[in-house]
Amino acid sequence: MPIPAPDTKQMVLASEDWIEYRTGFPTLIRKFLFRKVPPTGWFHTLGSSLLTVFILQATTGMLLAMTYDPSPTGAYESIRYITDQQTLGWLLRGMHKWGASMMVILLFLHMGRTFFYGAYKYPREMTWLTGSLIFLSTMAMGLTGYLLVWDQRAYWASVVAVNINGTAPVLGPFIVKFLLGGPVVGAQTISRFYAMHMLLIPGLIGALIFVHMWLVVKLGVTPWPSRPPVPEEAADR
Amino acid sequence: MAEQDGTTRGQFLTLSTVGLGAMIGGVIGVPATAYLLAPVTQETTFQPVLLGAIDRFKQEQGFKPTAATYVEDAKQPFTSAGLAWVHYTGQSGTTWDGKDAMFIVFSNRCMHLGCPVDATLTGFGCPCHGGQYNKQGQRIAGPPIRPLDRFQWQLKNSDSELWITERWSVDFNSSGQIQYYKVKGPGQPVTVPWGGSTVSNILYPPVTYNYPAGS
Repeated sequence: MPIPAPDTKQMVLASEDWIEYRTGFPTLIRKFLFRKVPPTGWFHTLGSSLLTVFILQATTGMLLAMTYDPSPTGAYESIRYITDQQTLGWLLRGMHKWGASMMVILLFLHMGRTFFYGAYKYPREMTWLTGSLIFLSTMAMGLTGYLLVWDQRAYWASVVAVNINGTAPVLGPFIVKFLLGGPVVGAQTISRFYAMHMLLIPGLIGALIFVHMWLVVKLGVTPWPSRPPVPEEAADR
Repeated sequence: MAEQDGTTRGQFLTLSTVGLGAMIGGVIGVPATAYLLAPVTQETTFQPVLLGAIDRFKQEQGFKPTAATYVEDAKQPFTSAGLAWVHYTGQSGTTWDGKDAMFIVFSNRCMHLGCPVDATLTGFGCPCHGGQYNKQGQRIAGPPIRPLDRFQWQLKNSDSELWITERWSVDFNSSGQIQYYKVKGPGQPVTVPWGGSTVSNILYPPVTYNYPAGS
């Protein structure tokens, strides 16, 4: 009896096996996506929304970086070019700008959800701590990104923000010079903020997101907070 | 394996790997850190710069300081531009810090957080967070922590041009005398705040270098 030709399903499964033996990715993806979760609601979508917005920011940011010129003379002009001349530049810049606000809003909602569900408690302390670091990094993204527009508002808002750091005891003056790349706002400042905004901090956030999600998968999604069953005698009183 | 004296091969390799890793880390990390932190050691410098012909500033009647923009470094017009408020006192002294000095040249940088102050009828006001200063640049309301900085000035070109040659942070001592200090950023005190307790001395060390030197 001749061996029947494999049907489509068998072929797909065989390809999956081929990949599985060589990379293990199918198992990885299955473990990641097909997990047992407790009953969840809309509040549990905030984390993945944040991840989505982060991907949006990274993508649009990379594209904007292709045109942006981080120099005192070129920054504002290059942004005008993106907004007015480049095909769909206004859209990509708009997505990046509104995405930034959206990320901060979602971050606070996500943090609030975590807090009110008690999801920061044992055994998820490290998830909370890595989340806090992502929160601080996102704030740093907001600060460094704000200057890059290089209009009057961006300039003075950044001057104020940097000088707030300067009021810190002992270290204040050093933090200011560290942020500005010198004693005053200069060409160094804008390229420094740019490098932090598009290389240093996003890399950090990416790494932190990896750890954060590793912990979420390892520890499972937090169920709704519930009270332990009330003992009979206590209920009788 | 039989009992062994000293280091095993495994221990030796582990140590070598860690040691080599630390060495590579140091070779990359030390210069990277130095590069990153180098700006912290930089000091503020000021290039003498022309504000304008003195006739322009002598028109002032009462208290209406004249705004004068300047560019310290022509190669960096966007980032080294500044604005000074020139107040004509009506007197004729040409020593900038004398009692009868012809001009007081204020910096427009608010000493709260560095926004540009505008001249008002009573002195100066900051649009950002509402800091108010009197005609001497002393804080009268709002969050600024010290008076407006002042520029040391000089007349040049047979007394026809007003130049600013140095920038000073200032504060008034308990008897109302103005004191000039090495320049400090906005929001940073030049004298010890809160009545000069030991704690405030440590948290906000005072500026020791002032003008005239040693006074």
